[in-house]
Amino acid sequence: MKNVKVFRYLAYAIEILLLFVLGSTPSLLPTIYGATPCLLLALSLTIAVFEPPVESMIFGIACGVLTDLGFSNSIGTFTIGLAIVCFALGFCANNFISANFLNVMITAVVVVSALLSIHFVFAILIKGYDDASSYFVNHYISRIVQTILCTAVLYFVNNFIFSTLNEER
Amino acid sequence: MRDFFKSNTFKVFLSTVFVVIVLSVFTNSIESNILSSTVNSVTYPLSKVTAATNKDKDGRSIEELIAENEKLKEENAELRNQLVNYYDTLTENTRLWKFYDLKKENPNYTIVPSIVLRRDSNDEFYSCTLDKGTTSDVSVGDPVVSQNGLVGWVSEVDLHTCKVITVLSPQTSVGAIDNKTSDTGIVSGSAKYCDKGQTTFAKLSAKHKVKKGHIITTTGISGLYPKGLIVGEVVDVCYDTYNTSYYAVIEPYDDIKTIKELAIITEYTGQGEVLINAKSGKK
Repeated sequence: MKNVKVFRYLAYAIEILLLFVLGSTPSLLPTIYGATPCLLLALSLTIAVFEPPVESMIFGIACGVLTDLGFSNSIGTFTIGLAIVCFALGFCANNFISANFLNVMITAVVVVSALLSIHFVFAILIKGYDDASSYFVNHYISRIVQTILCTAVLYFVNNFIFSTLNEER
Repeated sequence: MRDFFKSNTFKVFLSTVFVVIVLSVFTNSIESNILSSTVNSVTYPLSKVTAATNKDKDGRSIEELIAENEKLKEENAELRNQLVNYYDTLTENTRLWKFYDLKKENPNYTIVPSIVLRRDSNDEFYSCTLDKGTTSDVSVGDPVVSQNGLVGWVSEVDLHTCKVITVLSPQTSVGAIDNKTSDTGIVSGSAKYCDKGQTTFAKLSAKHKVKKGHIITTTGISGLYPKGLIVGEVVDVCYDTYNTSYYAVIEPYDDIKTIKELAIITEYTGQGEVLINAKSGKK
């Protein structure tokens, strides 16, 4: 039984590594309106809806660290944000809401918009760059939409992993 | 719910968030940290492989690549016939030769050729990570160039990789000069132009004579960049009503957003020296 769980977590870890490489390889993902999706952000949300809170939080932190380190050599917005969000999402998914597609998409719209907006505030707005609003319009909105769309795809991938490698099956 | 707040799970959550916040403060307060170095070292081989395999892909289909390959083969055969005496030259590594030319023109430069390992989707100013680090004598502040001119500077460095801030970023501030009119100013990125792959030549005097088509180069006054590195060509001259000063829009000769082969100048004559005679015009 425990082996199944280990294999499932191993599958998540491989997914994280693959998406990190996919997102950071130069010119691999097409840039739409100046942005590419935050794949690890989408992935952490789709893992959190299937797993218990603490495990969700650990995967959230892993995704957050890699996202933050890709941006600068320090951890910050995404690590802290995803630690809190994934724990809360894991807890809610285990107690209050069911892990269906609609709930995941509603959560993704709220969380992705909130986290990327917070990132915009820390990475662009506070630094006082001129024309900061044009970044939000030209880059962040596109990134938010693309990330939400990726969440839909990754939900089905992780749903398959969870239902295939599930000890209760 | 009240039981949940007293549970071990919630305590684990609070402890973890506390540790993450402490780590965040720790990693933000120092230039190079063990966390990023470890992640970079672990992902370095994988990044190297993906960067290499992706080097020549421009989103074209296999059929298009095969057709282009056939066409190139024909052209190659034709050239081989025409240039029988230059076989050796044909087999030279084109990239290294380009940088060799740069080295030949500037013998005082120590040049480290490198390739772009990563471009992060989060960065708005097209910064990138190169495959050379402190083991290749790269250090923070080193200028990064292509065969056509200045591309940026090294902002962070670890053992095997370094991060480059491009001239499209507002974090960049380079003393520059119009070669034709000797007008001086500061090259710095702008949110307005970075998406077009352009940067600005700001702080121009009211009586400047900068015009479209003029070439902008580095002054070398600060000792941070070598003198005479080409930054780009003026494509427009505008007036900033907010700063009440003129600025020129510069287009670098390379597409900085997609460039994949760069070189780092780790050493050059005048590095770190502020030219004290600059004010009197003696350079």
